[in-house]
Amino acid sequence: MDMPKCRLGFATVIIALVSTVASAQNATVNGRVTNAEGGAMANADVTLRPMPGPGAPPAMPNMPGMNERTTKAGPDGSFAFDKVAPGQYVLQADLPGFGRSSQAITVPGPNLTFPMTLEALDLPGAVPPTAVPGGTETTQALLDRIKTLEQRLSDLEAGTVLSEPETRVRRIEVYVDANGNQTDQPVPGARTEVTYQRERVYRRQTISEKISEALSDAEQHHVQVGVSAAIAPQFARQTKGTKTDADGHAYQLASADVFFTAGIAQHTLFYADVVGLSGTPPDLEISGLTLLNGYSARLVRQNEIGLREAWLRTELFSQKLALTAGRLDLTNYFDRNAAANDETTQFISDALVNNPVLGLATNGSGFAAIFDPKIGLNFKAGFQQSNPDATNLNDSIYSLAEVGYLMRPPGLGEGNYRLWVRATNAAGRTSKAWGVSLDQKIAPPVTLFARYGDGKVPSGVEGETAFSAGQHFWSGGVTFRQGLILNPSDSWGVGYSQTRLAVGDKEHLVEGYYAFQLSEKLRLSLHATHALEVPEGAERTGFLVPGVRLQASF
Amino acid sequence: MTRARRSLMIGGAVAIIGAVLAVTGLRAADIKVADPTTVVMIVNRDSNEIAFMDIKTKKIVGKTFLGNNVNPHMVMMSPDGRYVVTGGTRANKAYIIDARTLELVKVINVDIAPEHLAFSPDSRWYYQGNPDGDSISVIDMVSLTKVKTIPGLVEPLNVTFTPDGSKAYVGNYGAHWVGVIDVRRHELLKKIQIAEVPGMAKLDPEKYLSEIKGINIAAPSIDGRFLYAADGDLGVVGVIDTREDKVIKVIRVGKDPWRIYMNHDGHYAITPNNGDETISIIDLKTNKVAATLEAGPNMTGVNYAAGKAFVISSTSGFVYVYDMNTLKPAGRIKLGTNIQLETATTDVAEQKLYLAVSTTNSIAIIDAKTNAVEMVSNVGLFPWGTHIMDSKDNYCH
Repeated sequence: MDMPKCRLGFATVIIALVSTVASAQNATVNGRVTNAEGGAMANADVTLRPMPGPGAPPAMPNMPGMNERTTKAGPDGSFAFDKVAPGQYVLQADLPGFGRSSQAITVPGPNLTFPMTLEALDLPGAVPPTAVPGGTETTQALLDRIKTLEQRLSDLEAGTVLSEPETRVRRIEVYVDANGNQTDQPVPGARTEVTYQRERVYRRQTISEKISEALSDAEQHHVQVGVSAAIAPQFARQTKGTKTDADGHAYQLASADVFFTAGIAQHTLFYADVVGLSGTPPDLEISGLTLLNGYSARLVRQNEIGLREAWLRTELFSQKLALTAGRLDLTNYFDRNAAANDETTQFISDALVNNPVLGLATNGSGFAAIFDPKIGLNFKAGFQQSNPDATNLNDSIYSLAEVGYLMRPPGLGEGNYRLWVRATNAAGRTSKAWGVSLDQKIAPPVTLFARYGDGKVPSGVEGETAFSAGQHFWSGGVTFRQGLILNPSDSWGVGYSQTRLAVGDKEHLVEGYYAFQLSEKLRLSLHATHALEVPEGAERTGFLVPGVRLQASF
Repeated sequence: MTRARRSLMIGGAVAIIGAVLAVTGLRAADIKVADPTTVVMIVNRDSNEIAFMDIKTKKIVGKTFLGNNVNPHMVMMSPDGRYVVTGGTRANKAYIIDARTLELVKVINVDIAPEHLAFSPDSRWYYQGNPDGDSISVIDMVSLTKVKTIPGLVEPLNVTFTPDGSKAYVGNYGAHWVGVIDVRRHELLKKIQIAEVPGMAKLDPEKYLSEIKGINIAAPSIDGRFLYAADGDLGVVGVIDTREDKVIKVIRVGKDPWRIYMNHDGHYAITPNNGDETISIIDLKTNKVAATLEAGPNMTGVNYAAGKAFVISSTSGFVYVYDMNTLKPAGRIKLGTNIQLETATTDVAEQKLYLAVSTTNSIAIIDAKTNAVEMVSNVGLFPWGTHIMDSKDNYCH
């Protein structure tokens, strides 16, 4: 190889490369900013900014090293950036009243002249942009046209259903002086007053939204009506003791509650529950210490409609204190065990719904106060008359107090723990009782529950009874809401209760149930209960009571 | 980029802003927001504007009017802090605002009723969900043009990008699946069913054949590996492995979960269950419900700050507070009577919440440590939501 020629060629290549690089580093990016009709857009701001490479983190504006450059378009709309280093850039042009024109460019490139077209922004209701000093007549004409179009659009919108301006009433503070002059801002000598005023807003709603809002509004102003109905057939098979009439018998109780709810003032609610029961529960033939069918507790008179509850509730002190007064069922407020408290959806046996030591037999006039600051600790106090034959409010008054606490024992889920005390003056004697109630999640789908109660229930007017001498009660069990279920919203549980009277009588009761959630409003439950009665000094009797409960609520 | 690093860079940027302005040639008078991290963006639905409130002074430093009857829904700043965007629900348009000058720089036609939106991590793509159009409009933030409309979705509410920006996941409120989008091609790749509709559904046409409450969002775990998607009708949260795009666990929560909100430390997530007015706290290590706690009606959002969760109960006027260490209730904050709360954002220091109170045209600033409330009035008509750049609680409803 001829070395001198080779060196010459190599030097030529190097010179050419250096020349190219130098040329690229000194590239000039230029162009012209025009409107859609091609008119020059003088004074437009034109910006050139480097674009981060692929995968690079987003680069903030004003960041050091961004080297963002801006210039103004000249009277003819032209612009230029010199000494542009190789790379990828975003080239953009702005002018008030027009949308930004933006594009990605690469330097060096075959053509570094870029036309930039600005299109007017169409903003109904906007203040028209002022004419740009140095702008062309075309720009002003365009702005005028925008204004005209905007007005036409606004007129069009005002005449259509969907654009009907919405109004709403607001509670506002104003300032009123001694002469009755009202201002929006404070003025010397004016007092602050609260008033209501309509305001108009530009909100475009669809017809469906308007209809939906109207229906919702109407619903809030009307009395809400709900229905809860249940049919509970049960069967009895005697398992222990001398055969009785109940052996082999079938039973059925039908219950229907119609309840009304209405908001009548700020944070104040009216509620009434009218109930009708009909049928023959097993408790009419099977005599136990507790009821085999929890619905039986509501059965005061067959085939008659009765007022079960009717009360007013108001909430005070930032809604931390709720006061309820009227005809009540205090068991709705006290000893509310999350897993075993509702005969319509959970266990059906009364011993796994309530604590019999509470002693409440029937609903009556009463009052309940609940203080709940939403910190996991709450306090309740209340009284209720539980004697349908009472002639005054001093008779058969049950007074209750409860403290509840939400706890999270180590390694477990949340648990609700309650301690309550009760006193009553029924039949002229004071009797007291106390109890605890807990429901503790041991896993997301599994909840353990337990109740304990000890005390005396009131004597009858005839004197001491087996119950009034004192009783001791406890129950416990487990419920499942997930896992080992057939459908996602099903639940099941098993529970055991033991009731022991001071005179020695005992009852052991065990129940299992499976509740199918057939639809949002319909449940079907299968139950099996076994009750073993152990009277002091008498023969034991046992009954197996399977049953079905069909319950609808809507 | 870590937040600390980004904050450092932003601090540097602010410190030398004068010099930079000289270089850029932008007049100081043009710039209303020099540092995009210093403002709270407020979307005022009924005055059809985006308001910008200075975090320190609590003053509105600027408003960008979008046009009558636009009714903007959600506002978001691009990750590079360059643009602020919103979808005008009743105008069927996307609005792009220069984050420094607060000037509206582009209006782009999209599909029907644009609401929620998201940016790709590199700020290049702005995905605008159009629930009534069953589509997503893809907007190139370099050319500021709509480059594609992705069809085939069902009431798309929220979009989540993977950290590398290669895929996006779409929550379909009108269905029970999450859509997977290939961001390189802007195409719907796959539908991931969160859970099976129970067999009993045929007995309940009133529930399953009327309004559908499906998936609001697929929210990412802190490392982006997993997505959590709550389904309202099914009452579950599905856990999606983004490597294989399949559901690896279904967690049953309360009734009608609105959506899921991820705690900032990656340990827990919360679903507000509007069907039974509870919240379910999910342990993200075990993917099990750690606690179900009483809450309020019509919950619209959850924010995390100072070791607590703040759950917004829209119609009650309360924000319910929960201690995220003990997973127990920690009180509730009353913001007013007969008011409507919307959504909130949390500042990057995780000390304060900025909650839109629509019916009083105000923003409630809640001190997360003390639960003290300061109201900023007259921010605009019917503030619907707020946004702070780099906040971990930027969401809408």
